[in-house]
Amino acid sequence: MSDFIRANLPYLLAGISVGGQYALIAIGYTMVYGILRLINFAHGDIFTVAAYLMVYMNATMPLYISLPLTAVITVLLGFAVERVAYKPLRDAPRMSIMISAIGVSYLLQNLMWYVTGGLAKQYPVIPWISSSVTLLGATTKMVTLVTPVLTLVLVLLLTQLIRHTKIGMAMRAVSKDFETSKLMGIKINGVISVTFVIGSFLAAVGSMLYFSNYTAVTPTAGAMPGLKAFVAAVFGGIGSIPGAVIGAFIIGIAENIIKAMGLTTFSDAFTFALLIIILIFKPTGLFGEAVHEKV
Amino acid sequence: MKTVKIILAALLILCAAVLVIAAESSKDKLPGLLERMDAQGAAAQDTKMQKAKDRVLDALAEGSREKVLRSLERYLDGWPDRLDTGGTVARELFVYRNRPSLTAAGLFLLLAGALLLGAVFDRTGKIRKAALPALLIGLLYAGVYILESVVGSGTMLITVLKKGAIYALVAVAMNLLNGFTGLFSLGQAGFMLIGAYTFAIFTIETQSRAQVYQYYDGGLVQFALPTLAALALAGAAAAFFAFLIGLPVLRLKSDYLAIATLGFAEIIRAVFQYDGLGPITNGSNLLRKYPTFDTVLFPFLVAGACVAFIALVIHSTYGRSFKAIRDDEVAAEAMGINLFRHKQLAFVISSFFAGVGGALLAMYQTTVQAAAFTSAMTYEILLIVVIGGMGSLTGSVMASFLFIAASEWWLRFLDNEQAIGSFQLPLMRSGFRMVVFSVIIMAVVLFYRRGIMGDKELSLKRIARRLSPRKGGGANG
Repeated sequence: MSDFIRANLPYLLAGISVGGQYALIAIGYTMVYGILRLINFAHGDIFTVAAYLMVYMNATMPLYISLPLTAVITVLLGFAVERVAYKPLRDAPRMSIMISAIGVSYLLQNLMWYVTGGLAKQYPVIPWISSSVTLLGATTKMVTLVTPVLTLVLVLLLTQLIRHTKIGMAMRAVSKDFETSKLMGIKINGVISVTFVIGSFLAAVGSMLYFSNYTAVTPTAGAMPGLKAFVAAVFGGIGSIPGAVIGAFIIGIAENIIKAMGLTTFSDAFTFALLIIILIFKPTGLFGEAVHEKV
Repeated sequence: MKTVKIILAALLILCAAVLVIAAESSKDKLPGLLERMDAQGAAAQDTKMQKAKDRVLDALAEGSREKVLRSLERYLDGWPDRLDTGGTVARELFVYRNRPSLTAAGLFLLLAGALLLGAVFDRTGKIRKAALPALLIGLLYAGVYILESVVGSGTMLITVLKKGAIYALVAVAMNLLNGFTGLFSLGQAGFMLIGAYTFAIFTIETQSRAQVYQYYDGGLVQFALPTLAALALAGAAAAFFAFLIGLPVLRLKSDYLAIATLGFAEIIRAVFQYDGLGPITNGSNLLRKYPTFDTVLFPFLVAGACVAFIALVIHSTYGRSFKAIRDDEVAAEAMGINLFRHKQLAFVISSFFAGVGGALLAMYQTTVQAAAFTSAMTYEILLIVVIGGMGSLTGSVMASFLFIAASEWWLRFLDNEQAIGSFQLPLMRSGFRMVVFSVIIMAVVLFYRRGIMGDKELSLKRIARRLSPRKGGGANG
C-alpha cells in the first residue's frame, strides 16, 4: 500500500498543483466570458508575458520588488489589451471581437519572440516556494503544496468581492443582462476593465506558480495551459467561478493520472476529448446556467 | 462586326500555331545552330571549346533545358567575336530559350481564339458573359507560367506564388465555413494535417520506405498511389473525419463550436504523433521522399480547380441555404432548411478542400511533420480570411497572396539590421518583421473590419463601373 502511495502520490500532488494554476487562469476566462461573451484568446499569452516580465525583472532587481511589479505590469497589460483591442468592437458582431482576440494573441506571441530572440529563458528561482519538501515519502517542490492553498484563498477573496461589494454587484448585473444594466446606470466600461484587471492579476499569480515548476519559458509556453484553463472554465460551466475552479482541479488531476499511466502523448488530447464530451452531454457545464434562445 | 471577329480569331489561331510549332521544333535545330556558328571548325582546334560544345550536346541529349542554356552560355562566351552569332542563330536561340513560354503563349492564344469564336457564334451575336473572365483567367495562368520560365523557379517571387496559391485554397475553404455558413470553426490545421499525412503516407516511393520509416521496420503501407489519386484521397480522408466530428460538434453554438474544433485539431495532432501509430504515421518523425511539384503551375491548377468548385457550390441552392443559415438560423429553419444537414455539408466540403490544401502544403514543403500544424496555423488562415473579407472568395484569394508575400518577402528587410549612412536604425533585428506584420493585421481587424472586399466579389462589371465616369458608360465606348 505504501509503495502504491509512494509511486502515485507525486502525480496526484502534481495534478492538484497544476489544477490550482489552471484555476487561476480559468477564472480570468470565465469572468470575461460571463460579462462580454468573449473567449479571450489572448489570456494565455498574457500569462506567458507575466512569466517573461519576471525573468527580465528578476535579473535587475530584488525579488520583493520584481514580484509585485510583475503583477502590476501584467494587470496594466490586460487593461490595455481590453481598451485597445476589445472596446472599439463593443457593438460589432461577436465573431469580430473573437478575431480581434486571436489577433492580439498573435501579436503578443510575435512580440515575445522578437524580444527574446525565440530562445527559451530560464525562469528565476523564487526562494522558499522552489525548495524541495518530502511528504509521505514523496519528494516535491514547495510550490506544489502552496498552490492549492493560495488558489483557494484567492478564490475565497474573489467570491467575497463579487458577493459583497458594489463593483461585485455591478459585475453580476452586467453578466446577467448587459443592455439592462447599462440602462440602470452601471458604467459598463469600468466594470469590464475591473474584470480584466482581476483576470490578469490572477494570471500573473498563476504564472509565477506554474513556471516555478518548469524551468524554461518560451513564447508559446502559455498557449497550452491557456487552452486547458479555458476547457476547465467550460467544464465547470462558463461564467461560474466555483465551476471554473473545480473544473480546473479535475482537469489537472486527470491529466496527471494519464501521465502516470504512461500515455503522456495523450494528456493534452484527453483534455479536449473531455471538453467535446462535456459539450455534447451537458453544454452548460457542471454549474452553468442554461440560456434559452429567444427568437 | 462578325467578320472582323472571325478574322481576328483566325489570326490568333494562326499565331498560336506558328508559336507552338516554332517552339516545339527548336530543340532539334540546336545542334545545327552549333555547327553554323562554328563554320570554320574553330572548336575542333581548341579543346576548351570542344569541351564546351560536348557539354551542350550532352545536356541536349539529357533533355534538361536549364543545363543546355547554362552550357550554351559558356560556349558562347568562348567566342572571341560574338557578332558571329548571326540573325538566324540569335532567333533560334531565343526560341529555344523561351520554349515553354512560347508554347504556353501559343496554347493560350489558341484558347483565346476558340473563346472568341465561341463568342462570335453566340445566338444573339453578343460576347458571352463567361468568355471574358475565362479569357482573363487563362491569361493570368499563362502570365504566371511565362513569369516562372523568365525569372526561374527558385526565386522568391515564384516561392510566394506557390505558397500563396496553397493558402488561397485553404483560406477559401475556411471562408466557406466561417464567412458563408457562419460556423466559427477553428479546426482547419487539423484537417490540413490529415490531408498532408494521408497524401504523404500513400505516395512515399516504395523503395524509400525502409529509409523513411527506419524506426518502424519500413512501415505498414507498402505501395504508392499516383499523385492526383493521393490528393483526392487526402481530401476524402479529411472529409471523412469532418463527417464524424461534425456529428456531435455541429450542434454547438458559435464559440463552443470554435473551441471544440480547436480542441479536435489538438487531439489530431497528438494522435498523429503517437508512437503506437508509428508504422503508419512514422510517430513524431518527419515524412519525406514523396512526390513534390517543381512548377508553380501545379498548385495553381489544383487550387484553381478547387476554388472554382467551391464557387459553384456557393452559387448553387446549397450556397443560398448556407447564407440563409449565416444570416438567421431560426428564420432559415422556419423556411424549411434542414440546419444540421446543411451545416454538415458545408463542414465536410470545407474540410475536403482543407485536406487537399494540406496535401499541397506537404508537397510544397517536401517534408511534413505533425508538430507544425499548430493552432497558430489556423489563426493565420483565419486572419487571411478576415483581411480578404468574410464572405468573399476573391477577397480570400487576394489576401492569401498579399499575406504570404508580406510575411515571407516584402517585410523580410525588417529582420536585418539596417543603417542609413552611419545611423543605425533601431529595433530592426530578427523577429521584428512578424511584430510589424501583426500590428498591421490588428489595424485591419480593428479599423477595416470588412477587409479588402467585404462580402462582395471582384467582378469585371464592378471594375468597369468604377472606371467609367457615367453610369453604364462603358457600353457605348
